[in-house]
Amino acid sequence: MMKSIIFLILAMLLAPLYSAWILKVKAFFGGRKGSPLLINYYTLIKLFKKGSVYSTSTTLIFKLGPMVSLCAAAVVLMFLPVAGQAPLFSFNGDIILLLYLLGLGRFFTIAAAMDTASPFEGMGAAREAYFPIICEATLFMILILFYTLTGELNLAAYFTGGQTLGLWQTAGPPLLFVPIAFFIVLLTENSRVPVDDPATHLELTMIHEVMVLDHSGPDFALIELGSFFKLFFYASLVTRLICPFTLGNPAAEAALFFIVLGLVYTAVGVTESVMARYRMDKVPQFVLTSFALAFFATVITLEFLK
Amino acid sequence: MNLFFLALAFIFGGGLLSLMFWRQFVLMKIIGLIAIGGGCLLGLIDAGTKLYRPGPYSAVFDFLNAFSLSFKIDALSAFFLVTIYTICLLAALYSYHYMDKAQKALRTGGSYLFFAVLTASMALVVSANNLITFMLSWEIMSLSSFFLVVYNYEAEENRKAGYLYFVFTQVGAMFILAAFGLIYAHSGSLGFRDAAALPDTVKIIVFVLAFIGFGSKAGVFPLHVWLPHAHPAASSHISAVMSGVMIKTGIYGIIRIYMLLDWHIALFGHLVLIAGMISGILGVVYALGQHDLKRLLAYHSVENIGIILIGIGIGMLGVAAEKPVMALLGFAGGLLHVLNHAIFKSLLFMGAGMVLHQTGTRTIDLLGGLIKRMKITGTTFLVGSLAICGLPPLNGFVSEFLVYLGGFRGMALDKTSFAMCLLAIVSLAIIGGLALACFTKVVGVVFQGEPRSPVAENAAEKGLSMLIPMLVLAVACIVIGVFPTFFMTMALKAVASLELGYGQIPLVPFVALTGNITRAAALIFAVFLLILAIRKLLYQGKTVTRSGTWGCGFTKPTVKMQYTGSSYAAFILEFFKPVAPLTEDHPAVKERFPEKTYYHSHVSDIAELHMGSVVVRPVLTLFEKLRWLQHGDIHLYIGYILLAIVVLLFFV
Repeated sequence: MMKSIIFLILAMLLAPLYSAWILKVKAFFGGRKGSPLLINYYTLIKLFKKGSVYSTSTTLIFKLGPMVSLCAAAVVLMFLPVAGQAPLFSFNGDIILLLYLLGLGRFFTIAAAMDTASPFEGMGAAREAYFPIICEATLFMILILFYTLTGELNLAAYFTGGQTLGLWQTAGPPLLFVPIAFFIVLLTENSRVPVDDPATHLELTMIHEVMVLDHSGPDFALIELGSFFKLFFYASLVTRLICPFTLGNPAAEAALFFIVLGLVYTAVGVTESVMARYRMDKVPQFVLTSFALAFFATVITLEFLK
Repeated sequence: MNLFFLALAFIFGGGLLSLMFWRQFVLMKIIGLIAIGGGCLLGLIDAGTKLYRPGPYSAVFDFLNAFSLSFKIDALSAFFLVTIYTICLLAALYSYHYMDKAQKALRTGGSYLFFAVLTASMALVVSANNLITFMLSWEIMSLSSFFLVVYNYEAEENRKAGYLYFVFTQVGAMFILAAFGLIYAHSGSLGFRDAAALPDTVKIIVFVLAFIGFGSKAGVFPLHVWLPHAHPAASSHISAVMSGVMIKTGIYGIIRIYMLLDWHIALFGHLVLIAGMISGILGVVYALGQHDLKRLLAYHSVENIGIILIGIGIGMLGVAAEKPVMALLGFAGGLLHVLNHAIFKSLLFMGAGMVLHQTGTRTIDLLGGLIKRMKITGTTFLVGSLAICGLPPLNGFVSEFLVYLGGFRGMALDKTSFAMCLLAIVSLAIIGGLALACFTKVVGVVFQGEPRSPVAENAAEKGLSMLIPMLVLAVACIVIGVFPTFFMTMALKAVASLELGYGQIPLVPFVALTGNITRAAALIFAVFLLILAIRKLLYQGKTVTRSGTWGCGFTKPTVKMQYTGSSYAAFILEFFKPVAPLTEDHPAVKERFPEKTYYHSHVSDIAELHMGSVVVRPVLTLFEKLRWLQHGDIHLYIGYILLAIVVLLFFV
């Protein structure tokens, strides 16, 4: 229990740092020195100190948007087995709740964007509503695979301790597809290249960034924090999948986890540096690839098992 | 006299009295409200107690010594009765301010009468205990709702909608009659009970016929064509009742016939699951393409019927595979979704009714910014939207959660059933995502942003009796979402009366599931409150100013530049082009200074599109060929009658 709380706090504190690491990787590829690693903390503090400007078109929903999306992301982290430790909360079927909770966050982010009456934000919202549909299908496909392997329906059963290694042992090679599918979902859900470009300068080409254009000050800080949490969640799952080893020593295990987690974030940064964003109408095909991978993994595994 | 029939008498009497007093407009409405509402309340109390009593209640009346009218209320009936009475009670209340056209007093009186008859007949349908009673109540229900659909018969489209509804409901009824006829032919009795003794092949035919018949009432794809026409035509409180509870009598019929046939093969489950998945996905896809608020909601009924059928289908597979937990999860999830959908869909239709009442338009792209002037309507509509998307901590999530859990249990079944459950889970995920897209569109375009037309600008909400039902339903959405245990045990009680042979169902494992949902909801609220407190702290003493929306450098934005519902949905609909063909109409932009232009788009429903060429035309051609039978010569017609009598006398 105590350990879970410590790891949860650690996760929440480190999430911005890891996101900054992506910037560092991108700076390296661009031949720049880049902003300091603590940049995200500075930004958050700066935003927390500011006041806000609200659009005259907006209502209370606009203010609810950041709070609900952060709330969803924070609750999701509480169910996440950080570094293979038992999570703070866990129950049968919790993963369904978490996926729908992220949906709740998305609903309010979109609603907050629609509240501004801005055509750009509407455009971003329409895209934000579209791509995650395919992601959800992928995630449920993976969930079906994991369920048939373990007979359990909670994150803790897949990602704590030696459980993940067990998954590899029973399913073997087909499971190789799963981290890749997960990685594609990570890129999509967290608005990264090649689905979305967080650093672009043209509002027409944005998805997530354009939706939060009108948020400012502490409200914007809450949104940023929420997106750090969300990225941390997906990256942790990928990390546990590619590094399922148990060392017997909690400290060493945690260290290994946080190093591999860094590698996953590096991969995000590298992807962002070496490729361009897809044309908007190509994005669904890219995201569908993840579904196809998850589907194949499931079918092949079950063919072998049954 | 017992409470069940007393309630029905109140409701029916209320309808009659309202019509009698049509000259006193307000008095008529008060009588209607008190008698129908009071009857519903009595019925609700009665159904509630019957749900918890151990044995079923039954009553038999002989009618003209020809046949008997037989009623039996078991827990399944009681569950549906609770849903029916709750929604009808609130709809009766809603109608008080909604029906405010004093110049149409007689018509309003008629509408009260048919509303009362509809309510009573729905109650009779779910408590009927033999073939004839069921069919009789079913027809009364169909006819009374037909008259409610054509309430505004001046408009041609409403008459068309009524005609379409009439055709579908009667064709459906004929299928049910055919199924019942088969039961009667083989068992020789009108009783429900004897259906279990049919031969197996007949059972399959009966189930398929009944499924088609009940499916046309429930709005299962491709028999849903009447729904998006009839719901917008009817008054909003009637749409709420029709969409919220009347189409559920179709679901009731499917479950009842499954129970009566008492033959638990996987085939039935597969049939129901496939119908559920197709209805679910296509329903929400078509909903996304709609421009009319009530039509959009009507398509969402198709979607939710899909979800309910997925739940029931999973339950049937569970029964077939002798997996009680899976069966209970599927059936309980499906039944709970019946209640949940009744609640949030009525709420949404009432909200749409308020919008229609105050602005006079149902066109989504003409509205906007309504939540600022219609606070209660907007907020409750938002709650309903969250619930229909199945998001926690609201009621839609609870039932979908149970269905998901049931579906996952199906992973252990044989290949076909496994594949079905796999598809069901993925379909549910896709339906959830699409519903979210659809309702962010509705909330975003109708209630948020800036008004797109003068009518939207000047709208305000009025009418206490319209606001109270919406508030009650919104609260119900939250209460069921946070404390689902009580409502799930209600659904389980109903499942227990299906006599699946599980005996006393242990509640503990199921209560543990819903307990988790309650705890998770508490956690969500706690974290939210914490964030709220932090936010309040952060904004302490800060300067907060208001200014225009950031136009990305553009300084003269107009409300016309907002994203419309059509543009919002266009990107997603592109993906579903094969099943939802989009027709667009706009002139090409010419020259440097283009003239004023327009854009129309329409998403076609493939069932409606192909109905003409696949069903109607072949049937017409066939009848054309038989036309020589109808020659208009009265002598020969008398000859037909004679011939028929002779044939019947000598050969049957």
